[in-house]
Amino acid sequence: MTWFRRGAITPLSAEPDCHEVARVLQAFLDGELGPDNAEKVAAHLAHCEPCDIESNTVDAVRDAIRAQRPDIDVDELGRLESFVNDIDRHAT
Amino acid sequence: MQTPTITTMSGDSRQTAFREYVLPELDVMLRVARRLTRSPHEAEDLVQDALVRAYRALDRFDGRYPRAWLLTILRNTHYNRLRKRTPDLLEDELAQKLPGRGADARDGTSEAALGSGFDPLVHDALKSLSIKHRQVIALVDLDGLTYQEAADMLGIPPGTVMSRLHRARAKVREHLEAAGFGQETS
Repeated sequence: MTWFRRGAITPLSAEPDCHEVARVLQAFLDGELGPDNAEKVAAHLAHCEPCDIESNTVDAVRDAIRAQRPDIDVDELGRLESFVNDIDRHAT
Repeated sequence: MQTPTITTMSGDSRQTAFREYVLPELDVMLRVARRLTRSPHEAEDLVQDALVRAYRALDRFDGRYPRAWLLTILRNTHYNRLRKRTPDLLEDELAQKLPGRGADARDGTSEAALGSGFDPLVHDALKSLSIKHRQVIALVDLDGLTYQEAADMLGIPPGTVMSRLHRARAKVREHLEAAGFGQETS
């Protein structure tokens, strides 16, 4: 199995411009950028108002989508936890 | 003192290790199982089957990426259950029933699988997406998978997950902006 390591995206330049930041903004918000790139994007957003506004908008759209996440029934989850706690018996 | 490996652990320690790997991932396993089966009852059954397989295969697990390990077993278990249920189905026909392989309705990203529609506007926007765009939104945004985990489920490169996700969210954004989302001024 191959792994897409977080941060596998090409390293950004030392002080990325708006174009570079736009290219990786989604991965940044999803936590898929490595720490070095993420730090550079965060630093850019801290002083670039248009990119910061864009970041907030993308984030708001993502949050609106994620609010659609269906709830998981706690009883169902509880039954599965009991199943795991008794896995030795189920697996033999 | 040497740290015991999974193979040399006692039964109790083995169960403890298994619990540590599995309990944090039960929620995501159940979500993905629902997407695969489109049935809450069948989803719970599928997760139980996958857990038994995972426990039996624990000796071969290196302890890295437990979620990816469990999702792979879940997906393979689903595949085997489908094959058992329809033994006459050809392999390529069966492959069409897995997510990301063809436009079969069982891809789990139909309207009903997109969430309970807390916000009708967002729900409509998601409904308007193509199947391949809905799939990545469902796996990443609704089920909480990483790009790599979604890529493994769909059998596509992670870069494709990233680009499809970008396009899908852009379409949702267009839909929402057309309805006035984010345009109010303070």
